[in-house]
Amino acid sequence: MFFEQLSGNLVQGLILGSVYGMATMGLSLIFGVLQVVNVGHGAFIMVGAFTALILFQSLGVPPILAIPVALLIGMCLGMIFYYGAVKPLVSPSGAGIRKVGRRQLGKAAGVFVAVMIAMRILSGVLDLNIAFSIFIAIILMYAFLVYVYGGRRQEKGPELATLLVTFSLGVILEEVVKQIFTSEARGYNWDLGKLDLGFTVLPFTKILASGGSLTVAVLLYLWFNKTRAGMAMRSVVEDSVGARVCGVNVDWQYALSFSLGIGLTVTSGVLLTMFIPVGINPYMGGGYTLKAFVIAVLGGLASPYGAFFGGVVFGLLENGSYTLLAALPGGEPFALTRFFSFVMLLVILLIRPTGLLRRKG
Amino acid sequence: MKRKVLFLSVFLLAAAGMVLPALPCHASDGEILIGHPACLSGSYAKAGEQAVGGIQAILDWVNNTRGGIAVEGRKASLVYKYYDCESKKESVTSLLERLITSDKVHFTFAPYSSGLTLAGAPIAEKYGMIYMDHGGASDKIFQQGFEYVVQTIGPGSLYHAGTLEMVKAIDPSAKKVALAYADDEFARSVMKGAEERAAELGFEIVFNRTYPAKVTDLTPLLSDLKASNPDVIIGGGHFEDGQLLNRQLADLGIQPKLLSLIAAATLPAFGEALGDLAEGVMGPSHWEYGVTFSEKGAKKLGKMWIGPNQEEFVALFKKAVGKDMIPDYHAAEAGAAVLALVLAVEKADSLDPDDVREALGDLEFMSFYGGWNIDETGKQVGHSMVDVQWQKGQRVIVWPVAAQTGKPLYPKPDFK
Repeated sequence: MFFEQLSGNLVQGLILGSVYGMATMGLSLIFGVLQVVNVGHGAFIMVGAFTALILFQSLGVPPILAIPVALLIGMCLGMIFYYGAVKPLVSPSGAGIRKVGRRQLGKAAGVFVAVMIAMRILSGVLDLNIAFSIFIAIILMYAFLVYVYGGRRQEKGPELATLLVTFSLGVILEEVVKQIFTSEARGYNWDLGKLDLGFTVLPFTKILASGGSLTVAVLLYLWFNKTRAGMAMRSVVEDSVGARVCGVNVDWQYALSFSLGIGLTVTSGVLLTMFIPVGINPYMGGGYTLKAFVIAVLGGLASPYGAFFGGVVFGLLENGSYTLLAALPGGEPFALTRFFSFVMLLVILLIRPTGLLRRKG
Repeated sequence: MKRKVLFLSVFLLAAAGMVLPALPCHASDGEILIGHPACLSGSYAKAGEQAVGGIQAILDWVNNTRGGIAVEGRKASLVYKYYDCESKKESVTSLLERLITSDKVHFTFAPYSSGLTLAGAPIAEKYGMIYMDHGGASDKIFQQGFEYVVQTIGPGSLYHAGTLEMVKAIDPSAKKVALAYADDEFARSVMKGAEERAAELGFEIVFNRTYPAKVTDLTPLLSDLKASNPDVIIGGGHFEDGQLLNRQLADLGIQPKLLSLIAAATLPAFGEALGDLAEGVMGPSHWEYGVTFSEKGAKKLGKMWIGPNQEEFVALFKKAVGKDMIPDYHAAEAGAAVLALVLAVEKADSLDPDDVREALGDLEFMSFYGGWNIDETGKQVGHSMVDVQWQKGQRVIVWPVAAQTGKPLYPKPDFK
């Protein structure tokens, strides 16, 4: 009985771990290239989960086919957020030459007031409420400010500022999704049957989620190591000044990695719902953000496939340790699995401070 | 420079014009202010929306149908002041301080959930403010010696009393009970109650374990539970974890004769999310659309009746939230808490918290929500729960027999 449960949990842990790994790769990629910690990580996972849910429920698209759609949505979101909010803080080159005076702030205020007045007049014709008008005015004012300040020559912002920006993006996403879909916990049923292994039962959707994660990880590995574009991105990770000297467009690489990182994260949201197709709600991402940080550190912070590997290890620890801990008298084994996983994390970091897969020097 | 100042002032004026109407205003003479740190975002956003809707619906009834509250020789109307507490403890405490000291509300309402209710209680106590607990079920809230906390939701320890009695009545051969609950304040108090009740009724607890509240995968726990081969599985916590528990029981092919989940299974979203897998799943509820409490029934029992009937409440609720949505028990219990306050204020003929608290202690009434009566600690003892079961995509009240809208489906059909 003991070994039956242990092997069952390890198999389940392996599958969970590969999904965890997939859900962390985007975080590692963005940190590796831009040195930005994406605190809003979980919110992007949530966007992926909703993508799978909506495509399945309203169009009947099987979640496995939602993956390319999610990647596309994620990359678009990534580009918008990069140019709209992140770039001014990490811009390595001072690419722009536009001079900005304080008058621009006044103009931005002007945009706001003008839009508000326009909306007031329009509200006679259309049924607009005041909150909606303010919302639109703020977005347009912000777009104007991005246009003015985004291209400005300037110094890099402090790292804490990027934390705040990604945190805000996460909160904004959550609230927007809540406005559209409400905070109800949702789910879908995509039944492909089950594989009975005797000691445990695996629904085929779970196996597919794990296989999908592995495929994406392998593709990413090949892209990084075998293609010019991938190598260009890696060169920025190694040494951004050196890469620039060699003719790599570092600005574009930044934009591309941020967008790809978000794309991967949104994709992982789809795979996650194949693993657990219920409990989909705007605030579901919080727990994953924390786990992704731990896994990223475990795998070697700047390495996306290290993150995948770290995810598998973490999944095995979390699920596998349950059976061992349940054999102890008293206590709550599930609560102790957390304790156990984090102690193991400390041990691994003690032995290999750079994480499991970080190459030396 | 001049232009900058001009632009800036126009901007500030425009901004101020938008924001000003939303600033807090103190109560005028004929108004009674209720303050509420509501969970409108975060984990409890769904229950929070329901609670706010329920309170607004009853406020509407009190002010417009009933014609206000008679207190100290005048007719006062109720005014509701709430902020979003984001389902966070820190916000609950600071918003309560703000409601009490800056908005100068007369009475406070607790946020949703046992954990948040407990977090805010010391603030209300500090200022000697009545604190209407409508969504915090844990018995622990009433073991702290708080004097101003008054409960409307039934206590956690009674959640599964009816469920277990039902099993005993229908199938005396079912003996083995497994408990799998979230590790939080509310679920622990429910589990303790279920454990005691099961022992009284002669059941055998074959599995009794918790899982962390924010869990992603319950497989290890459920494989362990499967080995104990239970007839009855009861457990859950809040919303996402309840759906997860149901889903993964099905994934692992665990087939109990009865599955009862707290909180999650009583919401419409549960059936939508799980589809066929929800068939036969039960949940204890404080109130369901379709229960049969009426003014006539109250008269028969010799109890005082107040408030709208069920259909009126549902209509007022829909108007308050602006959506075609049927209220669930989170709305009903919050609304009933307002009714209790109305009766107590009139009985005390005062807005003084101590007088009103005394009146609440003596109060006993019935409304669309059912009975209401508290013991000396403020704990709800007059309200009884019902058990609902998902049958063909609908929630049916199956227990107690007197409240039934359908027969229980037992044993529950196997997961496919």
